[in-house]
Amino acid sequence: MYIENEEDYKFAACTYFARNHPGETCGSNGLPLTPSSVTILSRAQRLLNIEHPNLCTYLDVIRGKHERIIVVAEVIGKSLKEITSKFTYQEITNIGRQLANGLNFLHDQNITHRTLADDNILLDNNGRVKLFNFGMYYMTGSGEEVSFPLGLPKYLSPETILKGGGPAADVWSFGIILLELCIGKLWHNLKPGPILRRILTLVHANNPAERIAREHDCLDTYKEVPENLRNIIEMCLKIYPSERATFATLVDKLSQIDDKELVTVKAERGLMGCKLQYLYHWWQLAGGDIQAELKKNCLIKNTPPILSMPIAILLDGCTIGGKTGALYDRRIAKYSLDLLKIRLNHIPPHDYYPLMHERKKEYDAVLLPKIIRERDTEYQFYRLLLFQRLLHGYPFTAPYIRAEAEIDIPPLVRGDVWAALLGVVGDIQDQYERIDKETPTPTDRQIDVDIPRCHQYCWLLSGADGHRALKRLLKAWLLTNPQYVYWQGLDSLTAPFLYLNFCNEARAFACLSAFVPKFLHKFFLKDNSFVIKEYLAKFWQMTAFHEPELATHLHEINFVPELFAIPWFLTMFSHVFPLHKIVHLWDALLVEGPALPLFMGVGILRQLRDTLLESGFNECILLFSDLPEIDIGECVKESIAMCRSSPRSISYRRFTNEAELKDPMDVVEIPMETLFTEICPRINLSDFFSLICQNKCCVIDIRSNLLYEKSCIEGSINVPFSGVQLGHVSQRALGLPAQQALQNAARQAHTVVVAGHANDDSARLFSEYLVKCAVARVCILHGGIPALQANVPSLFVTPPKKN
Amino acid sequence: MATNRSGAAQRPNGAPQTKVCQFKLVLLGESAVGKSSLVLRFVKGQFHEYQESTIGAAFLTQTVCLDDITVKFEIWDTAGQERYHSLAPMYYRGAQAAIVVYDITNQDTFGRAKNWVKELQRQASPSIVIALAGNKSDLAAKRMVEFEEAQAYADENGLLFMETSAKTAMNVNDIFLAIANKLPKSESGGGGGGGGAGAGARRLNDGDAPRASSCCK
Repeated sequence: MYIENEEDYKFAACTYFARNHPGETCGSNGLPLTPSSVTILSRAQRLLNIEHPNLCTYLDVIRGKHERIIVVAEVIGKSLKEITSKFTYQEITNIGRQLANGLNFLHDQNITHRTLADDNILLDNNGRVKLFNFGMYYMTGSGEEVSFPLGLPKYLSPETILKGGGPAADVWSFGIILLELCIGKLWHNLKPGPILRRILTLVHANNPAERIAREHDCLDTYKEVPENLRNIIEMCLKIYPSERATFATLVDKLSQIDDKELVTVKAERGLMGCKLQYLYHWWQLAGGDIQAELKKNCLIKNTPPILSMPIAILLDGCTIGGKTGALYDRRIAKYSLDLLKIRLNHIPPHDYYPLMHERKKEYDAVLLPKIIRERDTEYQFYRLLLFQRLLHGYPFTAPYIRAEAEIDIPPLVRGDVWAALLGVVGDIQDQYERIDKETPTPTDRQIDVDIPRCHQYCWLLSGADGHRALKRLLKAWLLTNPQYVYWQGLDSLTAPFLYLNFCNEARAFACLSAFVPKFLHKFFLKDNSFVIKEYLAKFWQMTAFHEPELATHLHEINFVPELFAIPWFLTMFSHVFPLHKIVHLWDALLVEGPALPLFMGVGILRQLRDTLLESGFNECILLFSDLPEIDIGECVKESIAMCRSSPRSISYRRFTNEAELKDPMDVVEIPMETLFTEICPRINLSDFFSLICQNKCCVIDIRSNLLYEKSCIEGSINVPFSGVQLGHVSQRALGLPAQQALQNAARQAHTVVVAGHANDDSARLFSEYLVKCAVARVCILHGGIPALQANVPSLFVTPPKKN
Repeated sequence: MATNRSGAAQRPNGAPQTKVCQFKLVLLGESAVGKSSLVLRFVKGQFHEYQESTIGAAFLTQTVCLDDITVKFEIWDTAGQERYHSLAPMYYRGAQAAIVVYDITNQDTFGRAKNWVKELQRQASPSIVIALAGNKSDLAAKRMVEFEEAQAYADENGLLFMETSAKTAMNVNDIFLAIANKLPKSESGGGGGGGGAGAGARRLNDGDAPRASSCCK
């Protein structure tokens, strides 16, 4: 077999143009037709997930300018076309066996190759055979999306030339390849027309293989071919597709001739042993540029645009004249990984095999914003290898994954990590397949009108494949959740999961199914008004807790969250931000849990704070109808800080799927009507107790002086409610001790707890008063002093008598 | 009579005799008929093929100049899905004008528009000016609702009626102008006193609005 210095090329790119829709035609819904390139890209997503030892793994499909498509895939060695030396029959059998293996796999996946040729069969000096760009016919929708013919003429089967044919055409091409390997190149130096004619004349031949050999004066050579191999060639080169052998049979027959182990190549170690997808990703991060390389190799040529101007344009959009470049270039540009090797040169070998339990090294990069970390080659190198390990051990490694996801999630494995964070396990594929996603329902119309406008800037979701997948997901979810209905916004909510799991709908579905109960419990009930109202009330309380000044202003201008925040929470911001921002928001959401969104809302308000404070009602509502740029990184950071520094019970909601709280120390539930009137949240006795123990709160006892002096919480301050003038909004009006205590609390970010009687309005009114005085972190002790006395009497002392 | 696009140019600088009237206008109609697109075309002169669905509502303002007065529209663009119906009264309460939109290529949306008109006549302010807009007139080839049918319905119910296209901008400014012309500018002077639902309600929750704005200043 041919031996040559193994080249260092790991992947290659080729390029072609998708078909142009003539003119600017619109579909039946008045929307522009989906560009062919988008259709191709979404079809190609499936190819990116195909891995087989005899197939070159697809790495990327890129949309260039003017409907250009660039395909990036693994390469090995050289193509059969480039190899001029003769092969022994044993070698031919081995090549054939590997080819048949790859093609058999494709046919099992219902993918027809159709463009099999000597220049897309690659062979390395270990004897490995792989098919390059085997999905051309598939990704172009059987050639529908391109305006050039697919396949090299001499490998086309007769029925393909006559514009018919199915997968059996590949068997014919395979037969021609084998025949060429045995008797040399066929129809050399002939133009496509004559070749096609020759192939069609074979229709009358009894034995096309022999006939071809005779035509090439090689009948003798052909007869020398071992009979079993010759038989195989003849089983392929049958005129009638139905008479041809299938690849399953061919694999069998070939293994009977050559029953040796197929080539096994020792797994490489170090950088070259890493997953090819990772290598490609890192290479790009290190500055690798597919398009630049294509230009260097003249596969992308830039001609002055004036030359491509048509001479005439007909009314129907057809153009006449104008030079267009070649639509398809069979050449490929190969890429070496030198760039990446140099970049990662200094990494010691053992870093390639990170240990989960070992405290990993601290990278400086952790301090940088996430967006920058995601672009850092070395950082992503470490993160990806670590996550690969962790994900490999899922579900047993779930706690480790969570801990690492808290730092950040490498974009390349975000889909896997999200599924792990949501606890997706089991045979999700089977479960998803069992759900009826086709039967029409009355909701279909709404779904149909919503999908074509849901995150359509993302080409993955804008193609017909994306639309269909989103519809299936929505229908499947509605069918499995009969208690819920389709609310507009559910489409946006589903989109991020589809975006990250485009080729794994079942996982997208499993993620959605796990996400909703956790974050949006009961939100999609037919009557969800109470759920939403409670959520918004809680959001407003959190705003008052962390941003009292802003809350006061918004209350004063009667600017209520119902006017702007429903889409925020109903869709967990997926209707509000573009996907690249949503993924960062949700990264945090999935790690921190269901309380975080409330604080994210506050985080957004905080970023708009200055504008809001000086705006009236109209300006405020305008601001939210056309939301200004929000710094998501900052918003996430702030909201996590707020969430973690807030006592858990203040963000308690009734409508969650968490277990009901029974212990009087934990309870913080109040009737809805009461909730809607309270600006400040309530804190339960447990949280209060732990704040006291950590000395992290300032307690204001608003009972009368008399009661206070009988017994009070140690360290609390007495501001009898009856003496407070609610109209006089100033901390100074509360007296010096209270003022100092509040200032002290503000400095140390302590929580201010208002403790009063159990069942009167004073605590509510006083806490509102404090908010108006711009006191942050104010909450009401649930149950007041009496509840505390009953449950934790040890906290009470008799205050020292003042003289 | 013309509308100006850019916000700054609309206010006639240094013309104190010009009255400025504010009116609350609400858009209603089945989802995906083009409510948001109409507003976007009117307010910003833009059209997005893939205009995202509206959840809850959106708010925008635009000013048009009539001969002697300037009319400022405060536009509430509502969600179309039937499920969001319960939110609608919050937006049409106190509105002085409404545009009920349907899609001329879809008969069902016309039926839904009729229901909205009925609801407005029953629930909204009695003096509300209602306009019916048959949107997507650029798709006339796929028309399912005849112009005459809609016109007859509009005449019966005393509605303004136009077929519009947010995509080509046809009749978009005209329908807002027609509403501006029909709105009672004289009596609205009284809005400052009562601050009720009838006139000058610039706030949504107008029940307790302590400083209900006057309509004309």
